[in-house]
Amino acid sequence: MKPLLSLAALLLAAAPALAQESAQVARGRYLATAADCGACHTAPGGQPFAGGLPIGTPLGEIVSTNITPSQAHGIGGYSLEQFSRALREGVRADGANLYPAMPYPSYAAMTDEDVAALYAYLQEAVDPVEDSPPPTELPFPFSVRASMTGWNLLFLDDDRFTPDPGHDAAWNRGAYIARALAHCSTCHTPRNALMAEDGTRALAGASLGTWYAPNITSDPVAGIGGWSAEALKRYLATGHSGEGAQAAGPMLEAIDKSLGKLTPGDMDALVTWLRDVPPVSEGAAPGRVAQAAPASADLALMAGTAPEGAQLYADHCATCHQPTGAGGNGLPPLLHNAALLHPTADNAAMAMLDGVWPEHGQSMPAFAGVMDDAEIATLTNWLFAGFGDAGVQLDAARVAELRAGGAPSPLIGLARTGVAVAGAVILLVLLGLAFWLLRRGRRRA
Amino acid sequence: MADTLSADVVVVGSGICGSLAARKLAREGASVLMLEAGPRIRRDDIVRAFRTSPRKGDLIAPYPYSSLAPHPDYHPEDNGYLLQQGPYPYKPEYLRVVGGTTWHWAAQAWRYLPNDFRIRSLYGVGRDWPISYDDLEPYYHEAEVLMGVSGPVNNGSPRAKPFPMEPVAPSYLEQRLMTRLAPEFEVITNTTARNSRAYDGRPACCGNNNCMPICPIDAQYHGGLAADAAEAAGVTLIPQAVAYKLEHDESGRITAVNYYDWDKVSHRVTAETFILAANAIEIPRLLFLSASDRFPDGLANSSGTLGRNLMDHPSSSITFNVDEDVWPGRGPQSPASIQKLRDGDFRSEHAPFRIDFSNSSRVTSITEDLIKAGYFGAALERELRARTAREISVKNVLEQLPDPDNRVMLADEKDALGLPKPLFSYSFDDYVHRGMAASRTAFERIAELMGGTDIRHSPEGKYSNNQHITGTLSMGADPADSVTDAVGRAHDHENLYMASTGVMPTVATCNSTLTGVALALRSADAILGRV
Repeated sequence: MKPLLSLAALLLAAAPALAQESAQVARGRYLATAADCGACHTAPGGQPFAGGLPIGTPLGEIVSTNITPSQAHGIGGYSLEQFSRALREGVRADGANLYPAMPYPSYAAMTDEDVAALYAYLQEAVDPVEDSPPPTELPFPFSVRASMTGWNLLFLDDDRFTPDPGHDAAWNRGAYIARALAHCSTCHTPRNALMAEDGTRALAGASLGTWYAPNITSDPVAGIGGWSAEALKRYLATGHSGEGAQAAGPMLEAIDKSLGKLTPGDMDALVTWLRDVPPVSEGAAPGRVAQAAPASADLALMAGTAPEGAQLYADHCATCHQPTGAGGNGLPPLLHNAALLHPTADNAAMAMLDGVWPEHGQSMPAFAGVMDDAEIATLTNWLFAGFGDAGVQLDAARVAELRAGGAPSPLIGLARTGVAVAGAVILLVLLGLAFWLLRRGRRRA
Repeated sequence: MADTLSADVVVVGSGICGSLAARKLAREGASVLMLEAGPRIRRDDIVRAFRTSPRKGDLIAPYPYSSLAPHPDYHPEDNGYLLQQGPYPYKPEYLRVVGGTTWHWAAQAWRYLPNDFRIRSLYGVGRDWPISYDDLEPYYHEAEVLMGVSGPVNNGSPRAKPFPMEPVAPSYLEQRLMTRLAPEFEVITNTTARNSRAYDGRPACCGNNNCMPICPIDAQYHGGLAADAAEAAGVTLIPQAVAYKLEHDESGRITAVNYYDWDKVSHRVTAETFILAANAIEIPRLLFLSASDRFPDGLANSSGTLGRNLMDHPSSSITFNVDEDVWPGRGPQSPASIQKLRDGDFRSEHAPFRIDFSNSSRVTSITEDLIKAGYFGAALERELRARTAREISVKNVLEQLPDPDNRVMLADEKDALGLPKPLFSYSFDDYVHRGMAASRTAFERIAELMGGTDIRHSPEGKYSNNQHITGTLSMGADPADSVTDAVGRAHDHENLYMASTGVMPTVATCNSTLTGVALALRSADAILGRV
């Protein structure tokens, strides 16, 4: 009954504005948020669901489409069956394949009832926008949409979600949200050589090229097994755990646009499931954690003899985070901050480069234009040594990669695009395979 | 003469007015070259200098100084850059760096009141502006959007469009003032160029109480950001370029500006249009320095008013201990004001003023006071804790009328580049003194309402100033009594504009920056043929 209770809570909260909305449409509205449709299908400053957000991939930009009920430009002409096929199988009404920037492999788990609700919401409650964003124009061979059929054969698991009778309703609801809607594994599960998620290491943490999606299994050291349920809920709802962890980058975007808007019941369910994810112990930091903040270096700073890291900290960080790293007034403490206990320093460096920009509440400015690569590296290493895990360091070359948008890893872009890149890489493999088969066939003949 | 550079527009001065005018012109396709006498500076360098400064109360100390582009400095003693003829010394502070003096401000970004533009017509004092509030209103808004201004709407200045963001949340001190002074005095949140939310790539204010000398996170807009925006728009910025002479042709058109680099090598820049965007002291200085056979009293000075009508905001203040803990020092340094004495029929009798509450941390000054008074050890700590929670300071921002005898001139004494230093003649009239008396009455009432004890007035007849340097390039309809016309163009030189608070003919009761920027943006529109 949890889902129904959650829905009732949502309806109650939204009652004045949506008094006339049917229960099905209201449910669809909520699902669109939980599945974060608008994140990609709305351009910055653009009309809701009118598309036009260019999603950068190493293969070129994939432009999100208009999914408003416009007949000419959107999905106004789609039947429920056509919509369902697009959503869960990645095939448009005209038969063309979608690129897996659209996370249909995750949405494939969605129930028929939810697909119908989402359809009802998009058709009935969204204003049609009579305009098309520019088409996606990937270079050949990626421009051949039909080739996605092969990728789908290999990797599209179109099983609908089925509850696990060994667990209660809340656990199953959480599993459904995580898999069919929020698609946590897209970022947090490491991938194998063919860029497919490695199910044996589910949610054990992976780099997105720039940001690092940490281990969120129940392992108490490498994962989040040590977090209280309350801290997890606070984190997923607000971006701040209240216990030394705060979201930034793509996770913060997911919280602001989607996870933070889950009903309390769904949040409880998600956390129930998340805390039960089988532990994977990989991805733990070395554990050389400082017990206390470095002693105040005031005299050395005034004399100009402080280490460069301490000097950079004083110049850029200490005013807000305090000389001791204690934070305060709502600003995060740095001593034992979760970002400084990861097995990689990437997230700390990324936060400095890009800043941290929640929709609500205090932001942290970006320092990309203020510090060079060597300075960011020196400061990051000083922070890890003094406030976090001294065994984790990075160098200026890595900062340069982060600044440039990541190492030349095909996983870049996954943070918001789902499996676009993986799809493209697999596509390459399949095309190569096809070419090889074709040649072999010719040789035979 | 080493070389000659050229551009469509040359801007002299990279402060907030010049940079935002330059940016606007560059975005319209003009090639713009901007000269700045001072060096480039970085926020973190200033934060570092402030953190390590032994004189935290000296807000100029963290900024770099060079004798090649000197700025006035009075601590620990007067550096002698500004010379005084009296009877009253005029001692403004300003910076000569890329971005100018608003690196160092509390971001108060007020519009004038509509009546401020017509005090001669309405009250028989001062002078009227050649433009009205309505002429400037769209440019106020343009400036507010660029600078990220927030504030309450009940501030006396009507607006066609909303502020780009909500006001900054009131500090505890501000809340207590609002509650306890009502209904006799309405206290409103100041209109400031300070983010109440993430805006334009800059974070919201998080209350470091560090606005002066430097906002450590750029939650507060400043001229350095304006200069960055100008460069991003394609403006070529040359720092350490001290303009020292303008050239003109037979018709009076300006043809070139000459500057010294910091090796004292002279360079020459030609352009179609020239914008002087230094402050209201350095611009008259440059125009006097550019005197020629044709213009022996200096350029733009056929009226004889160049450098005259110098105005600032003289201030008096009251300091007292509130009868409850109010914790100044949390939140922005300048949070709130009382508006009601900014305008009224009394303006025919005495100066109007805005009453401005300080929320700066009192720890440094109280510590100094207590040590001077002989406190030490446990008693020092106890007293320091008690007083820093309760001591507040209130000042006025008071309108001084234009007076031709208040003026900036050239001194005989020269700076390191051999350029004559500025020399001042300055005094206050009875209009100011009567306003100060009215202000003292209001101060005492405020102290009474706050249960004030240990009440300390600033010394009678001795006023601090606010670095709101205005009037020396006054705009006016009549070329016989003004330097610039209604769009900030020199009456005497058809291609010479001033983007500076110096063009403001009256100083009113609010900080001058926003009005200066709005006027500069309007001048840019005039150059583009839109006014």
